[in-house]
Amino acid sequence: MANKTLLVAQREYLENVRTKTFWIGILIVPLLIGAMVGATALLEKLKQVQRYTVVDLGPGDLLERAEREFRSGDAKLLFQLAAKATNDPRLAALQQKLGATGDGKEPSGEQLLAVFEWMQQQDPALLAKIADVQTAKQYTYVPIAELGITATEPDARLQQLNQRVQAGDVFGYFVLGADPEQTTSDFRYVSNNLTDGALRSAYENTLTRLVQKERIAKAGIPPKVAEHIQRRVEFQKLQVDATTGATTDVKNENVIDKWAPVGFVYFLWMAIFSIANLLLTSTIEEKGNRTIEVLLSSVSPHQLMQGKIWGIAATGLTIVGTWVGFGALSAWLAPMFLGDTSGGMIGALLTALRNGGYLFAFVVYFLGGYLLYAAVLVAIGSVCNTLKEAQNLMQPVMMILMVPLLAMMFIGQEPNGLVAKVLSFIPLFTPFAMMNRAGGPPQTWEYIATTILLIATIWFFMRAAGKVFRVGVLMTGNPPKLREILGWLRQS
Amino acid sequence: MNHALTLHGVTKRFGSFTAVSNLSLEVPKGCIYGFLGQNGAGKTTTIRMVMSIFHPDEGRISVLGHADAQEVKDRLGYLPEEKGLYKKMKTAEIVAYFGKLKGMDSRTANNKARELLTRYGLGDWLDKKCEAMSKGMGQKVQVLGSIIHEPELVILDEPFSGLDPVNRDTMRDIILDMKRQGRTVIFSTHGMEQAEQLCDYVMMIHKSKLQFAGTLSEIKKGRDLGIQLDYDGDGRVLAQLPGLSRINDNGKHAEIYLQVGTDPQRALRWLLDHVTVKRFDYREPSLHEIFVRTVDEANQKLTATAEAR
Repeated sequence: MANKTLLVAQREYLENVRTKTFWIGILIVPLLIGAMVGATALLEKLKQVQRYTVVDLGPGDLLERAEREFRSGDAKLLFQLAAKATNDPRLAALQQKLGATGDGKEPSGEQLLAVFEWMQQQDPALLAKIADVQTAKQYTYVPIAELGITATEPDARLQQLNQRVQAGDVFGYFVLGADPEQTTSDFRYVSNNLTDGALRSAYENTLTRLVQKERIAKAGIPPKVAEHIQRRVEFQKLQVDATTGATTDVKNENVIDKWAPVGFVYFLWMAIFSIANLLLTSTIEEKGNRTIEVLLSSVSPHQLMQGKIWGIAATGLTIVGTWVGFGALSAWLAPMFLGDTSGGMIGALLTALRNGGYLFAFVVYFLGGYLLYAAVLVAIGSVCNTLKEAQNLMQPVMMILMVPLLAMMFIGQEPNGLVAKVLSFIPLFTPFAMMNRAGGPPQTWEYIATTILLIATIWFFMRAAGKVFRVGVLMTGNPPKLREILGWLRQS
Repeated sequence: MNHALTLHGVTKRFGSFTAVSNLSLEVPKGCIYGFLGQNGAGKTTTIRMVMSIFHPDEGRISVLGHADAQEVKDRLGYLPEEKGLYKKMKTAEIVAYFGKLKGMDSRTANNKARELLTRYGLGDWLDKKCEAMSKGMGQKVQVLGSIIHEPELVILDEPFSGLDPVNRDTMRDIILDMKRQGRTVIFSTHGMEQAEQLCDYVMMIHKSKLQFAGTLSEIKKGRDLGIQLDYDGDGRVLAQLPGLSRINDNGKHAEIYLQVGTDPQRALRWLLDHVTVKRFDYREPSLHEIFVRTVDEANQKLTATAEAR
């Protein structure tokens, strides 16, 4: 009995594994993801350094101070690097210039000035090579003089600057007002690209800090008091641990827990849908090429159906297994090629990949989801003679399958919300919803209850599919109406 | 128990349509049995019931002494009317696969598949994919797939359809080889010549009802003798033969039936005067003639009953 099912499954598996489509299917996903990650990294690298200039209408040295403040993060980083023993000749030079570096963490004002001076002499590209200088990597300050601005009268000068912006010599320019202490309403930022607001907001933050400092000093408030007043209220993030019930610190991984399941759901959906579809096409093909009757003279319809379902399940598991393998591999290899990937969906996915639980859940929910939809699709395939006929019957299935995709982001944000819980208990959505909630995570009883419900539904669907298959597989001509199919189900 | 297959009062309906009506039949072991009938007469439905693909609404079927073909599946061979192969599988693989499905172990099935294919002229195709084969070759592959496990009873639904003369001969050899090995072969066909040459027994169904069944000589016994004529000349003149009852004119060959009491000698003399006679045989009717006449008579009877109502 079981032996014949196995034979059918084996044939089905081998036939699939031997095709080019199968290998393309296996390789295309990792390749696509690899290409996506690579392209993102490449784009990041290719992003041009934005050149900007500043016109200071005020009498003071606001421009210089702003520039220093803007690059203070970079300067501090370089200072810290120089404070350590270093082999880099450039950093060594900086070290010498700085002399004693104190504790090596907080530079004094003078030291910072020295670093600034040194930075200005260096090529930004070189700086980027020795340290992760974010500002230097992204923005370059070009003094007005270097832009060949000849006019001295303010309006004409701005006119000329506008031309420079138009010509693309600079990405944009800032105009610092005459009296920032009183008002900043005459501060301007001019650029042809206002959608990319990163430069503007970074510079804005810098100026805000500077101007605030000045105003505080003017008002005679001691800096310590000012700092105290200005300190933001921040909540410490804690989470109730699922097992102990105590609160635990939440680290970075929470972002990961929020996004990684969404990525997994997406892959789960693709895997279940494409592999269950394979079963549909294979069933229709078998009907189309008339092999079904010979087969039925050797095996029972039940054996044939089960053989097909499991043969393709094996095919699917091979694909999914390969993906998982690729995923695990890339999780370990990625840091070597991509450097720091923390933050963002890819980083989140990679971290999650290092967590075996996700991979295990993925494989289990793939199998569960596949078997459920396989029962539906094998029944549809058995009553259709062509793919075209099947498409009509597939429409409601597709509509149902859209739900987890639409709810994906929503559940990711509220993994224990009402929608998430309700969807978890509808077996058609259980695999997707539960995978989606993995970051929550759901309570143990929910895992148990939904799994029992899912298995029961699979059993029920398989029985129903068996009844439809038995009759449908020998039918030719138009596919039966839903009413007729329901009639078959009622028969023993 | 010396019957490979018995049907007793078997009826099958699809909705309001009766496909097979009260059919009783016995197929002795070790014979070649022909199922005759027009398209849609009920042959394939009968065969499918024998194979337990359909279940009869009434009546009993016994296959190799078992009520359900499922129990003796592995001792049966079946070539369905709709023939198809997995396009992507290799010839030897698919024949072996069918054998394995019938319970053969893998190695025996593989060896046997190659041996059979080679024996019946497909030795060059062992490792080629089925999609590359012609229809006739595919059909041979299928038949071999249905007999690889040396079944006691083989049922072939129209094995000759669509075959060229050479492949027809191969098919005939396969069937005769089976008989020589003591197996029972049932096949359905539209080719009366094949049935006449190959079959020990034939039966005919027309519009779901059994018309006759038995050995060829039993069926022919008592029927009008007819003239088998090979001739040259204008065949239209044959219709004017005095005392003519029915004629099947094929242009070069004609089958002529005379009215009761007409002397065949006189007919021969008349024929000699009107066409060039190449062969003249006065003998029992051909299966073709019996078939056509049975269809005619049955249809007349049906029209008569319909009118009587």
